[in-house]
Amino acid sequence: MIIVLCDETDASALWATAALQQRGLSPMVLTDSTLAAMRGWRHTIGADGARISLQLPDGRTLEGGDMSGVLNRLTFLPRAWTRAVSGSDRDYALQEMLAFYVSWLHVLRAPKLNPPTPQGLCGNMRHASAWAALAIRAGLPVLPYRQSCGDDPAAAWRGSALAGIQTVFVVANEVVGPAEIVELHQESCLRLAETAGSPLLGIDFARDPDDGWRMTTASVVPNLTSGGEALADALAAALVR
Amino acid sequence: MILLGGIRSESPLALLTQPLDTLGASYRFFNQRLCEEYAMTFAVGADGVSGTLRLDDETLNLSDISAVYLRLMDDRLLPELESEPTGSPKHRHSRALHDTLYRWIEVADARVVNRSDPQGSNSSKPYQAQLIAGFGLRVPETLITNDPAEVLAFGRRYGSIIYKSMSGVRSIVKKFDDDDVARLNDIVWCPVQFQALVPGNDVRVHVIDRELYATEIISDVTDYRYARKMGGTTTLRAFELSTDLAARCVALTAGLDLVFAGIDLRIGTDGTATCFEVNPAPAFSYYQANTGQPIAMSLARYLTA
Repeated sequence: MIIVLCDETDASALWATAALQQRGLSPMVLTDSTLAAMRGWRHTIGADGARISLQLPDGRTLEGGDMSGVLNRLTFLPRAWTRAVSGSDRDYALQEMLAFYVSWLHVLRAPKLNPPTPQGLCGNMRHASAWAALAIRAGLPVLPYRQSCGDDPAAAWRGSALAGIQTVFVVANEVVGPAEIVELHQESCLRLAETAGSPLLGIDFARDPDDGWRMTTASVVPNLTSGGEALADALAAALVR
Repeated sequence: MILLGGIRSESPLALLTQPLDTLGASYRFFNQRLCEEYAMTFAVGADGVSGTLRLDDETLNLSDISAVYLRLMDDRLLPELESEPTGSPKHRHSRALHDTLYRWIEVADARVVNRSDPQGSNSSKPYQAQLIAGFGLRVPETLITNDPAEVLAFGRRYGSIIYKSMSGVRSIVKKFDDDDVARLNDIVWCPVQFQALVPGNDVRVHVIDRELYATEIISDVTDYRYARKMGGTTTLRAFELSTDLAARCVALTAGLDLVFAGIDLRIGTDGTATCFEVNPAPAFSYYQANTGQPIAMSLARYLTA
């Protein structure tokens, strides 16, 4: 069974779900609301390995081993749950639940797009400087990144204001996107996704008038809706692998 | 040149300067308490990582920094900022300076002890336990649940059980007792981590690259780190690991992309070792002071290599 983990308002997850259904698959969507209302959690680690068992709000039980593929677009804990936590222990409870989510998502042995990391439930939410360094090592041309103590640290997370950004998607070993960029940078994009530990990666490029396409940033939770049939095919193939 | 960062008087940092001096190493201090006077800029481009760091009356070229050892405290809690209103220019400068430093060390072409990302596994103990098990080390039998009946069944199965936090917050180990049974229904809101009590003696293993020091801790309380607070006693002494276990500890450290780690083991009377966690920022001075093990010298050698 393919599982889609997402926020209720995640248009990309809804698009992907519909695309998978059109390809004859029957994904189960677990939204943040469903996760917040989960009746029971049982996660074990020990000599017999690691396991997770979820008791759904309707009483059904879902075992980690039941999942054949996971489209994981959770960026944080379910909002309905975080809203319900208050008092002096709120921060502690949030840290505990976050630690729990990283662990139970890691248990899932099915292909995960993407696996969790301590730096993000759906993959490492790297800083722009880290993406730039990683991309250079992968062989991609990048827009230079600069930062100083005179800058607002939050600015780097706001994304590029450049016009004409084009996104290339890496899905497992497939690269999907504008043909001109894919032809030039396919291997480097695959290397970037591999070194980033993110089998699903959106890589943004901007055209430099003098020097072709340059990477501006990358995302482990890209907007999928612009990916078209080729991206849908690649997602379906990766999730049933 | 080596860059040290943190509070200059903090024990591990203070201890490290002695072997660095012995080795004749050139080092500078990023003293957080003086950060108002500091400035930093860096760039990542096709030519690599470049930039400058101004400390006191000296401006360093970042490409001249060959190694970094940081023990930074939360910059928002610096005593120098206590009387400053939130969002003041001093606060903003401190935050922006520290953010620039943190971003640079993640991409710096230098020996960094340790970079931030690899330290992350310690923020989820059960996640880290899964990684540890992947390196062939035994981990405690663990149950994380929000179901009180599951906890009681787990307790019946293993006899004595403990509970501890999953995150890096309030990491204190406590035995599960009758008082806890009475308030067990509280866990329905958030799963809690329980573990079978592992008998044996605690051993802290400090791994620095390929060098290793093991310290046995004899204590009469469940969590030796809080022995004094709990009215107990703790004794430390050097310990020799088996060749196989030592190799696994070195492999585990490297496998977690760490250079320096404090690995917490418990070794039973039959020699079986169970690994509780890997601390990516070990405060090694406590162990060195009580055993004389030259941990700081090993760290200094790594930084100067």
